[in-house]
Amino acid sequence: MKESKKEVIMKTALTLFAKKGFYVTTIADIAKEMGMSVGNMYNYFASKEALAKELLLYTSRKFGDEIRKINEQTITSKEKIEKIIELYFTMAVNEPELVDYFMRVYLSNKEIFNNGCEGMLCVSAFVTEIMIFFEEGVRKKELKNQDFFVAFGLFMGYIGGIVFLNNDGVLPKPLSEYSKDVSENIYNALKA
Amino acid sequence: MLLKPKIIWIDGVGCNGCSHSFFNLTYIDTLLNKIELLYHPLLDTDEFKIQKSDILIIEGALKDNFQKFNKNLIEIVEDLFSLTTKIIALGSCASFGGIFGEGILFNKENLGRFYNYKDKIINLPGCPIHPEWLGYVLEMIITKKPIVLDEENRPKEIYSFVSHSGCVRNEYFDWKVDSEDFGTKEGCLFYNQGCQGPFTHSSCNKILWNEVSSKPRAGLPCFGCTERNFPKINLFQTDTMMGIPTKIPLGVNKRAYLTLAGIAKSLKNERLEKRLFEYEKTNNKN
Amino acid sequence: MKKLITKIEGEAILNITGDKIVEMVEIEFYQFRGIEEYLKNKNFMDSLVINPRICGICGHSHLIATTKAIENAFNTKITKKAKLFRQLTLNFEIIENHIKWFYITLFPTQIKDKKFLFKAIQLSQNLSKAIALITGQYPHTSYAIPGGITSDITYLELSKVKNIIDEVLQTQTLFEDLKLFFENLPKEIGKSNNRFLKASEVELSQIYEKKNQKHQFVTYDNLFFEVGPLARQKENIKEIYNKYEDSIYSRIYARLFETIELLKQNLKICDEIDLSEKSYIKPNIISNKGHSIIEAPRGILIHEVDILNEKIQNYNIIVPTQFNLSSDKNMLSAAQKAIIGEKIEYIDTIFKCFDICAVCVGH
Repeated sequence: MKESKKEVIMKTALTLFAKKGFYVTTIADIAKEMGMSVGNMYNYFASKEALAKELLLYTSRKFGDEIRKINEQTITSKEKIEKIIELYFTMAVNEPELVDYFMRVYLSNKEIFNNGCEGMLCVSAFVTEIMIFFEEGVRKKELKNQDFFVAFGLFMGYIGGIVFLNNDGVLPKPLSEYSKDVSENIYNALKA
Repeated sequence: MLLKPKIIWIDGVGCNGCSHSFFNLTYIDTLLNKIELLYHPLLDTDEFKIQKSDILIIEGALKDNFQKFNKNLIEIVEDLFSLTTKIIALGSCASFGGIFGEGILFNKENLGRFYNYKDKIINLPGCPIHPEWLGYVLEMIITKKPIVLDEENRPKEIYSFVSHSGCVRNEYFDWKVDSEDFGTKEGCLFYNQGCQGPFTHSSCNKILWNEVSSKPRAGLPCFGCTERNFPKINLFQTDTMMGIPTKIPLGVNKRAYLTLAGIAKSLKNERLEKRLFEYEKTNNKN
Repeated sequence: MKKLITKIEGEAILNITGDKIVEMVEIEFYQFRGIEEYLKNKNFMDSLVINPRICGICGHSHLIATTKAIENAFNTKITKKAKLFRQLTLNFEIIENHIKWFYITLFPTQIKDKKFLFKAIQLSQNLSKAIALITGQYPHTSYAIPGGITSDITYLELSKVKNIIDEVLQTQTLFEDLKLFFENLPKEIGKSNNRFLKASEVELSQIYEKKNQKHQFVTYDNLFFEVGPLARQKENIKEIYNKYEDSIYSRIYARLFETIELLKQNLKICDEIDLSEKSYIKPNIISNKGHSIIEAPRGILIHEVDILNEKIQNYNIIVPTQFNLSSDKNMLSAAQKAIIGEKIEYIDTIFKCFDICAVCVGH
């Protein structure tokens, strides 16, 4: 019971962060939007920092689970890339506040996350799945063996960049129509 | 009064390192007094002849057209095998082929040419073996105790452990503090120096070498010498795929290992981030 | 007649002409393993694991020779600490080899008594322990790598090493047992070419080696030389050498003398080591040829390596037994000369005085 309410709070928070901005939004704002008392909010999240960290774990796990489903399919690395991009772009359109939080809030406000979310601690569910994807690809000789971070940076930087452009309203076509070409570029860069 | 078991010990294609390692067994004198050593490649014994034995110990690998005692090695082995009750394949060469040839029961990932003798053979891989491994097997045979073997005919009491068990660098492994380079007692050798400890079956860090040490204690990675594919290529390098080790600790699934490793890597153990202590530079020599 | 010699870390066959006295002897080694071929195209670091496994009793010498050859190719410098530790452990191997050879290989040719075997084992276990304190394990360590050593030793280990040296010096009875050995054996037999070579004197271009044959043939300046403890120590055992020349007595005496000398030297080395120095300095890896010429237990050991893009293109090894036990019809090697003209009954003893390592020959 408490869990699903928690999820609703988190979703509400995400929407507010996306709309008003992370720093501006307060616990009180979220409580008001939920129709809860601030005191009751604190039953679920001890502080805004705690909420921020749980959101990170939540978004990371959500992405991680979806990528895991793709990882477990018996398809080629090329096809996996296409599906991951498709997943990411779809989420970027359907749950933009989620993607926004992950790419914008987390990366731009690292100081909040330094205590208890050091390094890759809170995003490990997501990063682990990318690691598994890369490793399988190299094992099957479909992807080139290289430094993990070089490949990871290329992957995340690229799709993050396209989503940023989309959010800024710069892209002429809907985001989903870029999925195929972006996947192909990534595959060409990483293939064996 | 138990009759002393008759033992023939011969060498195939090898370096005799297993014999020399065996000489380091602390209780070798009492053990030798419990057996009748019909032949040994180095110790003074009667001349070699094809004869019955209770235990046949063979160190070194098999190879075609290898001359020994004015005969062909394979012929000698065939004759001796048919005249013995128990065969100990001593060392990685005899067990799996090692560097120099074919193994008896197994030949790298294939079956060896004497696979039909499986029930008679005990494999003691290691390059060289630890003297206590042979001491243990002989004691068990002398006292007629059954030795439980794993799927590769290795005694479980020795080979159920991994080299990683008891490594002094365990803390560094746990906290993912990798050694950047050689020459320090600090740091884990798993990620950058090719250590195969977490997935190599042995008891090297449990019972220690020469009663005092082990390779990782001296800054060397475990080379996996008790496993079938020893030696691999690039022994000082950890095989990685996109930076992820291809072989991980036994019994752990990849996802779990990566998650744990990622978490450990993200957190810091301050004590392990620096050297345990430093020596002051001495400028004067006395 | 053909005589099979065993218990020499492998086998050899002597082709002897002569009835009671040896008129001619040819020496055959026929057990080869092909390590030089195995090393081709391997990463140069792999040689540090493979080469000690050339031999179970003198593998450490191969390790040191390998590392030095690679360092020669890279023109790498190492710290004094690394240098001293390597000399320390190499000396220990020489000491252990001499003791094992004396009691396990040589003694039984005259006196068969298990107590000498156990004497050797007791001493060599201690020596192996001293080596392991520094290198992790013995036999078969790879602790000496290009750039230095992998171990980071503390005084806890070093003080134990010193105590072991003291114990070995105090408990050994080498010279008493030497008297026993020669109770019924003439001292003046086994005289040879009286021509010696030490590692420090060697110019590599003067070495010639015939490869892949059962009659070993290694010459220096077109002559067969004797290498080993007698070559190294004859200046230091002048009295004995002047009296007995290069007979078996000098040959054996030199080994025992060297054993004691190296133990004493090791005590000094322990005191000289500065533990605050670094163990290892990462070398600059280049494509180049390199070589090393060191003194191993049985004499001069030569390693030559050719590295291209971190892979071994070529590797050549010449072991001391190849020097001493060369075999030719026209020119006589040290071992040939020592046996010829002596009684057939002494062949085994004279031959084994050269401390043969057949597995090294069969690398």
